[in-house]
Amino acid sequence: MSERRHPIGEQLLSVDHISLSFGGVKALSDISLYVKEHEIFSIIGPNGAGKTSMLNVINGFYHPQEGEITFRGVHRKRMRPYEAAKQGIARTFQNVALFKGMSTLDNLMSGRLLKMHKNIFWQALHLGPAREEELQHREKVEEIIDFLEIQAIRKVPVGRLPYGLQKRVELGRALAMEPDLLLLDEPMAGMNLEEKQDMCRFILDINEEYGTTMILIEHDMGVVMDISDRVAVLDYGRKIADGPPDEVRANQEVIDAYLGVSHD
Amino acid sequence: MDLLFFSETLISGLMAGVMYALVALGFVLIFKASGVFNFAQGVLCLFAALALYDFISEDGWVYQLFGFALPVWLGILLTIGVMIAVAWLIERLVLRHLVNQDPIILFMATIGLAYVLEGVGDILFGSDVKPLDIGIPQGASDYLLDHHNLYIEKLEVVAAVTAAVLVAVLATFFQKTRIGRALRAVADDHQAALSVGISLNTIWVIVWSVAGIVALVAGIMWGSKSGVQFSLSLIALKALPVLILGGFTSVPGAIVGGLIIGVGEKVAEIYAGPLVGGAIENWFAYMLALVFLLFRPQGLFGERIIERV
Amino acid sequence: MIYREAGQFKSTYADDQAIFPIRQDRISLTIFGLLAFLGVPMVIDDYWANAVFIPLLVFTLAALGLNILIGYCGQLSLGTGAFMAVGAYATYKLMTAFPDLNFIIIVVLSGFVTAGVGVLFGLPSLRIKGFYLAVATLAAQFFLVWLFNKVGWFFNYNATGQINATRMEVFGVQITGPEATPTSRYLFCLLFTVVFALVAKNLVRGRIGRSWMAIRDMDIAAELIGIRPLHTKLLAFAVSSFYVGMAGSLYFSVWLGAAEVTEAFSINQSFYVLFMVIIGGLGTILGSFLGAAFMVLMPILLKNFMVGGIGVEVVTAKHVEIMVMGILIVTFLILEPHGLARLWQIMKEKLRLWPFPY
Repeated sequence: MSERRHPIGEQLLSVDHISLSFGGVKALSDISLYVKEHEIFSIIGPNGAGKTSMLNVINGFYHPQEGEITFRGVHRKRMRPYEAAKQGIARTFQNVALFKGMSTLDNLMSGRLLKMHKNIFWQALHLGPAREEELQHREKVEEIIDFLEIQAIRKVPVGRLPYGLQKRVELGRALAMEPDLLLLDEPMAGMNLEEKQDMCRFILDINEEYGTTMILIEHDMGVVMDISDRVAVLDYGRKIADGPPDEVRANQEVIDAYLGVSHD
Repeated sequence: MDLLFFSETLISGLMAGVMYALVALGFVLIFKASGVFNFAQGVLCLFAALALYDFISEDGWVYQLFGFALPVWLGILLTIGVMIAVAWLIERLVLRHLVNQDPIILFMATIGLAYVLEGVGDILFGSDVKPLDIGIPQGASDYLLDHHNLYIEKLEVVAAVTAAVLVAVLATFFQKTRIGRALRAVADDHQAALSVGISLNTIWVIVWSVAGIVALVAGIMWGSKSGVQFSLSLIALKALPVLILGGFTSVPGAIVGGLIIGVGEKVAEIYAGPLVGGAIENWFAYMLALVFLLFRPQGLFGERIIERV
Repeated sequence: MIYREAGQFKSTYADDQAIFPIRQDRISLTIFGLLAFLGVPMVIDDYWANAVFIPLLVFTLAALGLNILIGYCGQLSLGTGAFMAVGAYATYKLMTAFPDLNFIIIVVLSGFVTAGVGVLFGLPSLRIKGFYLAVATLAAQFFLVWLFNKVGWFFNYNATGQINATRMEVFGVQITGPEATPTSRYLFCLLFTVVFALVAKNLVRGRIGRSWMAIRDMDIAAELIGIRPLHTKLLAFAVSSFYVGMAGSLYFSVWLGAAEVTEAFSINQSFYVLFMVIIGGLGTILGSFLGAAFMVLMPILLKNFMVGGIGVEVVTAKHVEIMVMGILIVTFLILEPHGLARLWQIMKEKLRLWPFPY
């Protein structure tokens, strides 16, 4: 493999002994894992294993009953999604969480909201500082639009876009936040081969260009094994394996629970 | 504090609450089965009462056309027929075309509907106040007055009993009959109900008819109490706090909610009213609902709204 | 053919983001503006001012406010009538206490007072959504009307409980009170409406509008972009109430000259403005104009047709008017739930091709 522009660094995020329950249902049991800066880390496992719940915990949507999360050296037990966003964590969702009433451009611009500060009076007049800020961020967003090749649908209300494009727009919005950590929940679900290849290319490019650390939930084993630096496997809320793809692929427990054996 | 007076206030509040509950029942039915908050429910009460009055009284169309007024039982039957016809028309002309719209659009449509029904009612029957007398005993209960010194109107007792019977009938209807089951299915999931062959349109006609009949009962009670007049249609607004407390989808909730609001209003008016110049009843119910919402947004019996990401 | 954008290229983002990027729009707007500012004052008289133009402007302002709250931020409010009352009573207290103050300041101040009240009653919106929020605003509606009715301080303890507008001026020109001319009253309202419509448009196309729409579309997702739901919602309530308050102020002082709270600012008023917003088009600035025009003009047209045209009795005409309004509203909601603004958009699309079939 060629030299990485952003070589894998130190620990960026670690979760320690996280347990999460909803009423009687235990979604996560005593999970500990860590992710290093600039790497692509995948979480795999059967449906219901708790993968999305794990992302929700990192993001601040769910608050674990036990355990701690350490991001950039800062320990925390509970955090609101707003704070996670401020700290540089961005996210996409299984069921696309776009603002359906707004255009592609507006959705991406909404990703810049944390960086826009000009107060309401300048906004009301739309002169000077507010206008400058708006145009500045528009330029930045257009870069992302170019990168994701979605120029043609700039002004289309996203509710009208096909599923595959919506997922791409959602990725764009996450990128617009210029995150340090990007959580992708099944970014390739429901896509055909071509679309998957495009999405793969985008993910790798993002990691290459910007050095964004990524945590990926995905079911397509080919993709996962190909692009990940490390993989964790969850089953029934517990972690059953954690390591480089080849190691995990050969792990017996993982094969029994999830991968299965090929019969040729 | 005068215990007797307090008891009277309490009971008076409960009775008022029963009246509210009767109207709220109609809302719950329609909301349960079609997810629509039917603002026109109050006007349906008014309309039903107007129609009944017209059938049985001497200054209605029937009398003018045929020279005699109908006996009460026939008048009631015919009015039920009228309400079913109205339900059918509403489904045909309005509901059918608004199937997949936003709840707020549906809500606005029912407001529009309320205006239409009000206008039609006014044109057909005139907008003056009409005393409705279908033979419900009026005046205070002599027994209670003589033996326990309690002033309670007989009408209100009748209303309470009627409400209880109505709730029992509705509960049985929902639980035991085939149609009741279909209604519950539709309330749960329109698509799924469609896919097992339940006709949405028929269900809606049925539900709105039942709501219409409930409206008739409520209209009779209110009409007998204070005459059939326009203000009846404003009851729709009072129903909202009742539904907040009881939950939008619960029949027993409507009763309990109505009772709480009825008692709360009366007590507040009697005891706190004089301190601030009176008319607390205008807003007390809403404030109560507001406070309630802050602590329990789904009401006493309503379903918890869980948002999944 | 008339309405072609061909040949109009935008080479900067600034051009692309302009309010009226298409030349035809700019031309028609200029013509419209000339008519409004110069044409109308030449022909206006008391009747037209009171029956058509001033209510049109006042309610456009109110509809703009409500549209911001419901259409852009997705928070349902049925308290518009009461908030207009707050604006009106604030104006009354200010004009009686400071009779020499420039009236523009009074109207704007009334707006700010209403914004404060709006924020207060908007606080529940963090916990409560949708219909339930509507109930909370109903609490505001009924409570405030009761308050203005009962507490003498609000109407300066006068005997009737009614508030009357005193004589107020702007740079020497009388705007309220008996000697104000229809022209000056009309232009005053026009100025307010145009300026604040522009402000509204600027707000909604910038970062604030986007955060409102994000909350409206999916408030859970909005949180993870970094939007703070409570702040954003309260800001919507504040700005919306600001507009509605100013509308109430103008309604009382410039249009009617007097007001009695249970008649002028009842729940019917709330529904009236709500209809404007829905029929005009939720989430559009143009919709506020169109909806207000519809709701103000339609009853007038109906009445003239019925009473003047086919000789219907006035009382019956009123009932028919109610019925027809209801029918129109329902028909509208069935045919075009996105309102007149969407119809206008569709018409423009058709104009692009006309007279060609495709």
